[in-house]
Amino acid sequence: MSIIVIAIASESGVPIFSKKAGNNENIQFSTIASLHGINMFTKCHNLQMINTLVDNGTILWKEYCKSVTLIGIATGGLECDLELLLSCIHDVMVFCIGKKELENLKNLDQIKRDLRQCYPILDHLLESLDPNNVPRSTIVLDFIQSFLCPQAQQLQQVLDNYAQSVTGRWACLTIHGHLVATSSDFCELDPRETRLLLLLAAAQDGAPLRDTLVYLPQMSPNVAFRAVTCKLLADVYVLVICGATPALSQIDELVLQCWEGYAQIIKEAKLVYPRNFPLSVTFDSALLGLLVINVCKRRCVFSRHLHPNQKSRGMSGVHRIDILRTFYVTTAKDLAPELKIVEAEENDTDVVVSETYWCSEYHKCHAQRSGSLLCCALYAPTVPTHTMRLLTNQIILDLSTNKEIYW
Amino acid sequence: MNTFKNKISYESPCDSDNDWTNSSDDSKYSDTESSVPEWDSDIGEDGELVYIKTKVNNEVTDNSKTPLLESCETFKLRSDFKRTSTRRSTRGKIFKVLKNRKHKVKDNGNDKKKDLEDNNKFLIIQVSKNMIFSSDKNCQIEKLFGISLETHTDGKTLVVADFLPEAKAIYIPKVKSGYYLLKINGIEVTSYNINNVLQRVVEDIENPKLTFQVVTEGLNIDIEKLLTPKNAPENSTIQLLKDSMCSALYMCGNDVEYPSNDDKGVLYCFPRPFNQNFLYNTRGAYLTLNHLAPKSLGTSEPLISTVFHKNQLINVTYASHCNDLLLIAIPNDKIDAFASKRIINDIVKVLDLLYGSLKMCFTKPNNVDKLDSLFSRIFVSLLFGNKCKDKTDNINVCFEETLAARTLSLPLEVKIQLDDAITELEAADYREWTDDVENFQRLYTVIGACLYYSGHLLSSHLQDEDLKEINAYLKLNGILSLSTEKDIERLVIWKEVFIHEHRKQNKIESNEYRIPDGRWFLLVVGKGHFVLATLMEAGGCTEDAVGVTPPSPFYVEECESCLELLFDVGLNKYLPSWFSSNSQPQVETSPQCLTKHGRKTRDNTSTKADHKNPITKHPKHQSDMKRRHNSSDQINSGSTSEINNYQSTSQHNLYAQWYNGPQKQYRHSSIDVSYSEDSGSVKSNSEISDDRVAGRRADREQKHRRESSGSDSDWDKQDGSRSSNIDMSDIRKSLLEELDHVTVQRITAGEENVLFHFIQLESEKGVLIAPVRNIELQANNALYTHIVKTFRSACKKIHELLQHSIKFKKNHAPSNPLNKILVAVKEYGMLFEAPPEILHQCGISRKNCEPFHFWVVGRVFSEPEPRELYLCYHESVPQDITEIAYLLSYLE
Repeated sequence: MSIIVIAIASESGVPIFSKKAGNNENIQFSTIASLHGINMFTKCHNLQMINTLVDNGTILWKEYCKSVTLIGIATGGLECDLELLLSCIHDVMVFCIGKKELENLKNLDQIKRDLRQCYPILDHLLESLDPNNVPRSTIVLDFIQSFLCPQAQQLQQVLDNYAQSVTGRWACLTIHGHLVATSSDFCELDPRETRLLLLLAAAQDGAPLRDTLVYLPQMSPNVAFRAVTCKLLADVYVLVICGATPALSQIDELVLQCWEGYAQIIKEAKLVYPRNFPLSVTFDSALLGLLVINVCKRRCVFSRHLHPNQKSRGMSGVHRIDILRTFYVTTAKDLAPELKIVEAEENDTDVVVSETYWCSEYHKCHAQRSGSLLCCALYAPTVPTHTMRLLTNQIILDLSTNKEIYW
Repeated sequence: MNTFKNKISYESPCDSDNDWTNSSDDSKYSDTESSVPEWDSDIGEDGELVYIKTKVNNEVTDNSKTPLLESCETFKLRSDFKRTSTRRSTRGKIFKVLKNRKHKVKDNGNDKKKDLEDNNKFLIIQVSKNMIFSSDKNCQIEKLFGISLETHTDGKTLVVADFLPEAKAIYIPKVKSGYYLLKINGIEVTSYNINNVLQRVVEDIENPKLTFQVVTEGLNIDIEKLLTPKNAPENSTIQLLKDSMCSALYMCGNDVEYPSNDDKGVLYCFPRPFNQNFLYNTRGAYLTLNHLAPKSLGTSEPLISTVFHKNQLINVTYASHCNDLLLIAIPNDKIDAFASKRIINDIVKVLDLLYGSLKMCFTKPNNVDKLDSLFSRIFVSLLFGNKCKDKTDNINVCFEETLAARTLSLPLEVKIQLDDAITELEAADYREWTDDVENFQRLYTVIGACLYYSGHLLSSHLQDEDLKEINAYLKLNGILSLSTEKDIERLVIWKEVFIHEHRKQNKIESNEYRIPDGRWFLLVVGKGHFVLATLMEAGGCTEDAVGVTPPSPFYVEECESCLELLFDVGLNKYLPSWFSSNSQPQVETSPQCLTKHGRKTRDNTSTKADHKNPITKHPKHQSDMKRRHNSSDQINSGSTSEINNYQSTSQHNLYAQWYNGPQKQYRHSSIDVSYSEDSGSVKSNSEISDDRVAGRRADREQKHRRESSGSDSDWDKQDGSRSSNIDMSDIRKSLLEELDHVTVQRITAGEENVLFHFIQLESEKGVLIAPVRNIELQANNALYTHIVKTFRSACKKIHELLQHSIKFKKNHAPSNPLNKILVAVKEYGMLFEAPPEILHQCGISRKNCEPFHFWVVGRVFSEPEPRELYLCYHESVPQDITEIAYLLSYLE
């Protein structure tokens, strides 16, 4: 599998960057020029290339802000929503340098230099598509990876308090790159912005306290905010978006004030990882992996360590993630029609899929949706299909009634 | 042409035509026998022929005006077969001599006039003078006639736009919006003179008479007309294709090869002019991409590009051949990307079949006109082929049609009939026809044939690849849809083709199993709703075809008589009723019956429900339907189970000939022996048939005796004496009786039939089994239509996913790595919920509306060769798809 993303200034044709993931060779300048040429040429003839399919792959051109063209090439049987990926990458670009800069593209060399700071984020994003390693922060591009812990409600109060003290509104807590708790206003942020913040935190791994100028693509694409990431414990970060004040040194003190007493709670919450579900939720032993999605909140929880004290049999964890991800991208996404970017393609709005499944030689997958909960479950191949339905149904029932679950 | 001349020496002494014609009792033959065939003048200069005559126009009868054979000196008799063919003997028909055909241009004015009239059906409506319609627009024509008009794009013709509510009763259903208003009181009206004419109408005391021109689908396109090579596609057709953004383009990668070409490497472009063709204008993009993708990006060549042009999504598909590139553009609202990808493959197949390779096709001199009409046929049949669909629905080619030749399960009895007829054609056994068969060389060997009825493949004796190509040819040229929609009186198509095996052989030189270096011809004949495509080989043991090779009247007649035979056995009557019987396996066409509410209503008014279902005409089936069993019963239990019933009706027949006792066996073999032993002195016709009747009658009596004795052995139930020696009328009877015996097959588990639709696809063979094409019409049910529509779109998705597994199994190290997870997926299911509005339409009131769920499941069976099964069933009973596949395979 491989994926290539190229950014080109639409007007001048100057390549801005090209990023790749996977086992392909670096793309040559002449190729970039030709690809851009195709797009320019068709545009002259009032024709827009929407999408090109090759055997096991896709080539996609997308122009954003009338100034930047992104070209995405996915090959080798990689199943991903290329269009969504490109729009994410565009978001990252806006996040780093702001929409205005990107639209004007006045000093291209300067912009290219500025964009360098988003490379780690881009790398993170592309890397997460690679089936061969465990993605740290993003399993599926549509959702923010989180985990469910009973402490979330308590932590929310702390976050509210913290946000107030730094004169910000939006704050969240991440553990191992998973969104664990948010301040109560956090939902005002677009899910795409949330994801960018998480990616930022992941890309700045290791720094104890740092602030970055960020443009929120939806909320304020032209006015920069300050995103402050602070490491509380190992793998535990607290993120807040605030204005120019207070200074970083002050924030350092404020963090200490706010969070000092909650180390124990955070440690407790940390124990939920890697199961990612509270221990009060139990699962059938035939269940090998689980991806639970809250469609409304755009959050997902993934787990492959469902059974305590049980050695994982056969399938490796990476493989399980890959199966569930592929299952979601190719199949289960139909259950959440509201996530489709463009409705233009087919107007089957009246067609409602409520369940879907796969049987392969080595596993079975089943997805069922109930309200905003979408549950993709990975089972052993020995489970009969109709049993699978019962089990998934039970999982959804358990999750929606469990008192310890707080999205 | 001259190939026959050197055969004169073979003429047998008995060569008077009158000998045959006198004894003929069939007017059809007497007509053609002594003359050139009616299609003779349609033969093109290259020897190819397309001759179509449909039964709509009865006024064009075949009043023979052809010259007598005797007067044509150029007629050379190749041989004269005195044939008492098994299939003709009972009718006492004698066949005409095989003759050389002669180029003689006859005026065929009749046909042309007929074509015109077909497009110009007129409707006359008389409107009462006393009627005054209230028009809020104060428009004269609305007041007088209650219709509103608009002008056609030509600026002149008046088109009916709408009817006022009060006027609807007068016009509908005869006149539809879109028809042209041609005349008022016999005066032709246009947008220019309409006001004057109306003025006169007002003054006139008579009731005005309106003449409308019928416009089908708002388009004056006749596939029949397009098929005939003489008619170049009309400008209006081409304009229409231009407007709908259909386009074809062929470019060579290397200009140097064609120095004479001054179009920058474009060898073919349709529709023209070049500069108005968007594909031509933007060809650089596709060409660059086609080079770039494999070389610099490391992907495969592009398959399809979706582009947005003039507010329309268009799918541009690629097919490269050596350095050259063929592009086909089809608008997405008519044909989606899924179908487009497959259509270009079909187009390439057709072009390969007709010309040997893409390069040959587009570099052949003077071929542009033919390609134009071919592509206009292809596009027209793709875009406007499905006339039955209403306009608002996008005419996406349905899933079944794009993948393979559609076939359906037939009773074994019928299958044998069909195969028998085709086999006899293929065998070309003329021994009983002439005394010394050894002295004659044949013109052609029949290497295979396939038979269609109403667009469904009934039987194929072709190699898989040949079948796929011929099926694509018939489908894209609209011949299949023509045979579905119209009753064909006569259809003869003759084309030289390049068969797959031959093309492949040219590429790989291997000495084993070489096919002869010959030429191949495709002969398509049609009658009624039957279409028979025969592949013939000249070369090897037959005479070599040299130069221009027009169709041989003899072989055309051979094929026609093969169809004739199917009519004789009554298949033309049997098949329509079989098609509407919905029995093998039965699908549930009134899905609302599976809801709680539906069950209640059905129980209350069971008679009404039965009335809907065509099978229940036969009382037996009612009981079949009512009978409830679970799936294990179906397989295991005794004679009451449907599966067993089925076996007794058809499966066992296969063996009946062997089981029916030694006496009969002897009889069969004795006849065979008499043929082969002394071919010189065959028994006289009458002797044989007497013998047969005696044999059959004896059989029948024996059967009656058995039945009356109350024996219930499976073997005895059926009349097993079917063989090619039987009197035709008897077969017909037995066939039609057979239909009464049709048992309803059910392949799903559970008490009720929960199966809505199924497709079994064998992509290697190029065939798929599904319920008949018009099952939706038969059902006439909004919920069913919704279900089938959902099923089809889901199948596309499932099919795409399952291809990973099929590709992987076929080729373990594919050049483009596959997704390693998807290659293992062998079953994919989706559960759908029917929207409440549609349930409401089917009489399920909102208050007792429970959710209606149905599954669409697809599974691939990879052994022995990939087979995909798609099912659509109600959620109430869990089904094991493997078991269903197993039961379904029993029906074949």
